[in-house]
Amino acid sequence: MTRSDGTNVLSDIKVREAMRKIPVYLSPDSQIELAVRCAVKFKINAVLIIGQGFEAVGVISKTDLMYAYYAGLPISAPVAVVMRSPPLFCRLDDSLDRALDVMRESKVSRLYVLGNAPGQAVGVLSYPDIVGLLYRYCHKCEFNTLRSKRQDRTSPVPDIFKVCEVMGPVSLSFRAEDSLLTVMEGMSASGEAALILDENGLPVGVVSKTDLILAYRHGVPTTAQARAVMSSPVRSCDKDETLVNAIQKMIFSDLHRFFVCRGNPENIVGVISLADAARVRSGSCRACMPSRITL
Amino acid sequence: METRFRSLLPTMTVAEAVLAFENASRTLGRRVFGMMVIDEDGELVGMISMYDILVLMRPKHIHIWGEMKDIDVTGFIRQNLQRAKQIQVGDLMSTDIITITPETHLLSIVDIMLRKHVRRLPVLDRGKVVGIVHISNVFFYLMEQLLH
Repeated sequence: MTRSDGTNVLSDIKVREAMRKIPVYLSPDSQIELAVRCAVKFKINAVLIIGQGFEAVGVISKTDLMYAYYAGLPISAPVAVVMRSPPLFCRLDDSLDRALDVMRESKVSRLYVLGNAPGQAVGVLSYPDIVGLLYRYCHKCEFNTLRSKRQDRTSPVPDIFKVCEVMGPVSLSFRAEDSLLTVMEGMSASGEAALILDENGLPVGVVSKTDLILAYRHGVPTTAQARAVMSSPVRSCDKDETLVNAIQKMIFSDLHRFFVCRGNPENIVGVISLADAARVRSGSCRACMPSRITL
Repeated sequence: METRFRSLLPTMTVAEAVLAFENASRTLGRRVFGMMVIDEDGELVGMISMYDILVLMRPKHIHIWGEMKDIDVTGFIRQNLQRAKQIQVGDLMSTDIITITPETHLLSIVDIMLRKHVRRLPVLDRGKVVGIVHISNVFFYLMEQLLH
C-alpha cells in the first residue's frame, strides 16, 4: 500500500528479511559436471562461485550450463569458462524496493547479499523469496479486501482470481523429433525456461532447462531428438480454474510453471508461473497494487 | 573396517538405490544409511546417503509453503516421490569423498569423522575399495576397550 510519504510496503522490508542462505558454492576450477549436480540436487537455478579468499567471483546459472552443452564443451571443463562474473550484489540493509530496482535494471532474477567481510556473500535474494514474504505481509494486513469481505474471519481466504487473469502468452512450440540443439536455440531466443513439444499438432511433452542439463550430465548427444529427454505428459491447468488450484498443482508437481489449456489439455493457450501466481495472490488487496512486484 | 559391503552404480535410479538400501540392511543385519558408488571399472566415484535423497525430496518452493497456509498440500509427498524415481544416483551423490587406507590409525579416523562430520569412510588399498569404516564400528570398538 502506498503511503502519504510516497514509500510502500517494499520500502519498509529489508533484504535480510527476505534472503535465503546459500546452500552450496563452488570454486572456479570445479567441473561443470559438479555445477549440474548441485543445480539438480539442491533445486537451484544458479550456483555461486567463490575464490580462494571466499569472495564471490561469479555465478553459473542453468542457462549458462545449457549454453555450455549447446557449445559442445566437455562436462569436465572448469566452471570458470562459462560463469558470469562478477555477481550482482545488494546489501543486508538495502530495502526490497532498491534491490528490486537493481534486478529490473540489470534484467536478473537474483542478487547475492554482501555481508561485512569484503566481497563475501552471506545470502541470495530472488523473486520467489520476496513473493513468499509479501504473501505473509498481505494476508496479515488489516486493509486486505478479501479479509473485510469475509463475515467469518477465521474461514479460509476465498479465491477470487482465475488462471486466465494471470497467465501469459505461450511461447513457441517445437516438434518432438527436433534436435536438442534446435530446442536450445528456441529456448535461448524466447527466453523461456521450458518449451512444449508437439507431434502431429498435439502437445506431447515439455523440455525444461533442468531436463537439458541432466541430458548434458548423462552424455546425451545434442543431436538427439528432444523426445528423448522430455517430460510427459504436459502438465496443465484450465484457464478458468481458480488461481489457488493452479498454485497447488504447481507446488505438488514441484514445477515453476504450468501450461494453460482451454477446454481440453491439448488446447494450450497460455503459460502461468508459480512466481506470477503467488505475486498476484500476495497482492490480494486491490489497494496494494503499487506494492506489487513489477518483473 | 567392514569388508562385507554393498555398493551402487552411478546410473541406478533413486528408486533402485532405496531398494538397495533395504536389501543391504536385511543382508548385513543393520540399518544402512549410506552406500559407496562404484562405477563399472570398480572405481569409487561417490557416496550417497539418506541425507542426499532427503535433499531431493525437499520441495523446491518450500519457502513459499510456509507463507501459504490456506493451501492444502496433502498428497505432495506421493507426487514428489514419483518425480524422484527418475533421478540417477550419479546426479545426487557426493563426490568430495574422504578416504582412508588399511593403515590409517584408529584415532586419526576418529579425528576425521569429528572434524569433517562424516559417518562412514571408504578404505582404499592402492586405489581399490577394500572396505568401509562406519562411525558405529569405531564407537563400539573403543567403548568395548573402555568397558573391559
